[in-house]
Amino acid sequence: MNNNKMISSPQARLTALSTSFKDVLKLGRHYVELLDQLVETEDAQEMLAATTQLAELDLQNAFADFPQHYQAADYYLIFMGRLLEKHGIDAIQISENSRHQFIARIEPIADSDSFKFQLGEDGEAAFTEQGEQEPLFYLDLANRFFQFNNQALVNYFIVRALKKHTDLELRDAVKPLIAFAQELATDLDFTINLGILNTDNAERFALARPDLDLTVIDRLFVATAENDYMLMNLPRNNGAELMLDQGIKLDIAFDPDDYSQQWFFAVKDPDSRVSFFDTLLHYNLIRQWYLNNRAELAVRSDKLVVAPADEEESFEQPTEVFQPDSEQAEREEDELGDRK
Amino acid sequence: MANEEHENRAVEIGSLIERQVAIKIKYLQELNEAIAAHQDRQIYQLLDNQRYAKEIEHREQQPNDQGVMSLVDDLADQLSNYLSEKLIKYLGQAYPFFYYEEYQTGHYRIYFGNWWDRRQFGELDVLNVRFSFEPTEYEKLRQSFELARENKRFNSDRIAEISKQNDHLQDLIDHQREREDRRQQVEQQLEDINSHSGIFESSKNKENRQELVDQLQKIEDEEQEARTANKTIKENEQVVLSLSKENTILSYEQKSIMDTFGSFEDFELANRNLYANYLASLDGDRHEEKQVSEDEQ
Repeated sequence: MNNNKMISSPQARLTALSTSFKDVLKLGRHYVELLDQLVETEDAQEMLAATTQLAELDLQNAFADFPQHYQAADYYLIFMGRLLEKHGIDAIQISENSRHQFIARIEPIADSDSFKFQLGEDGEAAFTEQGEQEPLFYLDLANRFFQFNNQALVNYFIVRALKKHTDLELRDAVKPLIAFAQELATDLDFTINLGILNTDNAERFALARPDLDLTVIDRLFVATAENDYMLMNLPRNNGAELMLDQGIKLDIAFDPDDYSQQWFFAVKDPDSRVSFFDTLLHYNLIRQWYLNNRAELAVRSDKLVVAPADEEESFEQPTEVFQPDSEQAEREEDELGDRK
Repeated sequence: MANEEHENRAVEIGSLIERQVAIKIKYLQELNEAIAAHQDRQIYQLLDNQRYAKEIEHREQQPNDQGVMSLVDDLADQLSNYLSEKLIKYLGQAYPFFYYEEYQTGHYRIYFGNWWDRRQFGELDVLNVRFSFEPTEYEKLRQSFELARENKRFNSDRIAEISKQNDHLQDLIDHQREREDRRQQVEQQLEDINSHSGIFESSKNKENRQELVDQLQKIEDEEQEARTANKTIKENEQVVLSLSKENTILSYEQKSIMDTFGSFEDFELANRNLYANYLASLDGDRHEEKQVSEDEQ
């Protein structure tokens, strides 16, 4: 586009300028087409294609100063809004702030916090709560991958948001996020990991630490004396089962046939409708116990990495805690207490 | 004459033995048949006729014939194992919170509950159809029912006491700084007094000095206590946890008894009537058993 060769004749220079403008205009037309596609199409594949291309489009140019435009993170948010809208979900409100960035607010907690995508160097976008910078989920459009961050979900919803909102409000606020993940899976064939929001009875949430001191379970046992829920022993002495209401059971257990004795949480209910997150949200007993013993009980935030085909095992090897920046990591370390 | 007498006695003894052996054979035969048909009620009657007569037939003073009953003494464990099958099934309904472990043939440990932490609560005496509860464990349960009427728990007082001690220790740790300041202050005062006292020290001065020395000693004692306070607090917390666990176990046990029997008194009543109630329950399946064995033939 930019020709560095010395061009002497005025005609040649004008021609060069004209060529450059043609390129810029072509780029501009392409840009406008993509914008139209993103906002107008009803086809999820086209939404995704427009978003990916817009995110990569470089509008920096010496010849034309494009008027105010948006960043990749903004297109991601528009994409999320459009896909939800296509499925008739309007709980996510997207608006522009004073710095020409799009931000999202979620009903019914729209009054307190806002969210925005933040792009990492690996092309992964983190849907991040703006106050404490909690990345609630990661979105990787190129590899069609979505996953929730368990630790951030607990930090944001269970530790902080619950001070300002009721458990029912927060349950409603999580719904559109889960819906978005499920739409990505059904419409666009994404691989999704719902983490502690998964309601499947067979789902297990491994603890981050390799061992568990049984006095931690003793503390839950003692806490149950104050209410009607009973903590039972599992048949093979491989952990405990908390009997909640409506046939809901929370297990903290390990597989007795597995040599590693990896402790995990599992939630079982008659209709497979309750997640581990839900039990933290709705049961004061579980929440207090989990937060008071968080260093011991922290659930692993499995950060699955899309690996090259010859390194399949790295799928099996979850990195323990994902942190987008080191400052955050330090903060969590402090919060988790005496790890060192 | 004497010989005749001797012969007569020999005949008498001979027929006595015959009679007794016949009784023993009859007893063993009856027992054998009862066992073959799994007629547990019949077996219980044969094993303790006196009790059966009293508690089931309401006939008093039916002595047991030790001569026949001792025949199966050496089979007690096997009989217990055999009879446990139906008894434990019955108890599973009547006492849903008890769990049994056969630690050797015919011997059963009772566990109260299958909760996270539970107690071994005694043994099940199958041949006599009764629980022999561990007296100390049973007493704890009885007491906790009594305390529950005052809204108290078994270990509440001890937990409160230890918590108070921990508060005191935490207070010592929190006031390290103040204590240090006070020590310096007292040491300074002591120095002042010492510098004022000549050969003849006034009694007032002496008194003051003694008081300051005492204060210093008290500060030193507190310091000593504070040095080990963190460790003691941790240890105390462990004790509180195990006391709380015991409270929790007892509250689960109370809950279970209330759910099944309505009150501790009704639980005790059921225990006293267990033999009669159990054998009465066997009435129903006696009929069934006959049918089954007829069908089999």
